[in-house]
Amino acid sequence: MNRRTPASTAGKAIGVVVLMSLSLFPFYWMVSTAVDTSPLSRGASLLPSGFTLDHFRYVLVDAGFLRYVRVSVIVAVGTVVLSAIVALLAAVAVARFRFRLRTQVLIMVLMVQMVPLEALVIPLFLQARTLNMLNSLLGLIIVYLGFSLAFAIWNLRGFVAAVPRELEEAAYIDGASWFRMFRSVLLPLVAPGLVATSVFSFITAWNEFIFALTFMQDSSKYTVGVGLRTFFTQNTADWGSVMAASTIITLPVVIFFVLVQRNLAKGMTAGAVKG
Amino acid sequence: MSPTSTAGAKTRQDGAEGFTRRTVPLGRRLRRAAAPWLLLAPGLIVLGVLLLWPMLRVLNLSLQDYELRNLLRGDTDYVGLDNYIQVLTDPFLWKIVLPNTVGFAVVCVVLTMIVGTVVALFLNSLGTVWRSISTTAVMVAWAVPALTGTYIFVWLFDPQSGLVISTLDGLGIMEAGSYNWFTNRWTFYAIATINVVYHGFPFIAVTMLAGLMTVPQEHYEAAALDGASAWGRFWNVTVPTLRPIIAVCVILSTIWDFKVFVQIFLMPGGDGTTRSVMNLGVWSYTQSFAQGEYGMGSTIAVLLTALLVVISVVYIRTLMKEEEL
Repeated sequence: MNRRTPASTAGKAIGVVVLMSLSLFPFYWMVSTAVDTSPLSRGASLLPSGFTLDHFRYVLVDAGFLRYVRVSVIVAVGTVVLSAIVALLAAVAVARFRFRLRTQVLIMVLMVQMVPLEALVIPLFLQARTLNMLNSLLGLIIVYLGFSLAFAIWNLRGFVAAVPRELEEAAYIDGASWFRMFRSVLLPLVAPGLVATSVFSFITAWNEFIFALTFMQDSSKYTVGVGLRTFFTQNTADWGSVMAASTIITLPVVIFFVLVQRNLAKGMTAGAVKG
Repeated sequence: MSPTSTAGAKTRQDGAEGFTRRTVPLGRRLRRAAAPWLLLAPGLIVLGVLLLWPMLRVLNLSLQDYELRNLLRGDTDYVGLDNYIQVLTDPFLWKIVLPNTVGFAVVCVVLTMIVGTVVALFLNSLGTVWRSISTTAVMVAWAVPALTGTYIFVWLFDPQSGLVISTLDGLGIMEAGSYNWFTNRWTFYAIATINVVYHGFPFIAVTMLAGLMTVPQEHYEAAALDGASAWGRFWNVTVPTLRPIIAVCVILSTIWDFKVFVQIFLMPGGDGTTRSVMNLGVWSYTQSFAQGEYGMGSTIAVLLTALLVVISVVYIRTLMKEEEL
């Protein structure tokens, strides 16, 4: 493991190059097609045949993709806010209290994440239809709340549990009320976890396809995922536009995800309690 | 909020009057017992209404001949196990749908685990800087949504002007536009496999890497002193130590790969128009939303869920047993 021969160094360098190019290639191909002047005649050339922002202009301005982006942002932000509030309450309950059925509640939270969406889409569609919630942003937000909540509770539980009880007690000794303690001690320390969890909820809502496709039948209520399908006709696809729209969908997710994933592991209470 | 605030208030009061009163009054004890449930209530209600109750309803629907008119009229038409008999005796299930679902999932899980483990071992052998740079690249592969990722692979394999056919054309192997990969069951699933493995390997790699970094270096040194080869060290030190993590990775990827939907549905012909490439998820969806047979669609969805539950239980039994006992 600790050998440092020239051969093993060269092998590792090649490995890094191969791993990085394979991991990034589809992403690169998407972006480079989106800015290519003539993507359909690009063939096997690795570099785009020219640079243009016409595909982005067409997608955002002429094809009205911005409308779908707006719907998706509203739905995703609504999901994030509701899910963060509900999950934080539940996470405090399972991380700070010992009560009967606590283990059962945790197991249930884990198990519900296995339920396939294909099984849920039928009953929830029929229910939404009965309640006149099809084509409703609120309806979609409520459904996404259900999908993102289990993971959010599970994730936040760890962050709440990681805050040392001594800090809470110290706040009480200093004369703080529960609300003051919550606002000044617990919330700031759980904040990184809340951000990470919220990003995952956002991505869940932003990426979801089956329910958006089934619930949103009015084209003014399409989310980005469903709107992307409008660039396909019967047998042909305008790949420049499809990849430009795909880039718009993918870029925020990739940036959020990479940022959060790096900070997720950082100990947020490190040094808060002297050992 | 108020129940927990009493919990906080209690701590303060105990500090002040802890000597005078030893027993906590009944009312306060009750409030303290109710606190976690009040905090949990919104979450449990949401999960119950949006996940558990629909599961019961889909079970109920699977026993009915249910179409949209039943919903509009509000009546029911229970047919017992007729839907199940019809699905389970359909050769389409046994010849096409089940092999597509199970075979595809098995291949994907095996490939994802192999690629993920190899990448994790490789990342673990790197220095801190290069490991962090390479991990970020792997994260990008993870973050690309299944939705857009699928379109990228469809574009790469586009039969007219995609990168793959252009390369093959350039090499003189195959002429562009001469063959549509998406209409053949095998090539369709080969492309879907690449897509799913590409999307799935980063999770395995990152999780296994986290596990690998916890294996004590002394164990490898001891094994090396005993004359174990690199391969021997992997099987006799790494695998047994990481057994619980490997088990979790296998279970999660199996569950994910069995219910693959978007990656199939968004490929050309994958939305039910090419019947030979249907899997259980797509079949259930098209029965319901293209044919309007919600009862039959529910039956297929129940079978898919049952399959997932059985696999999870069997896996947990066989993989976790040695840890438990």
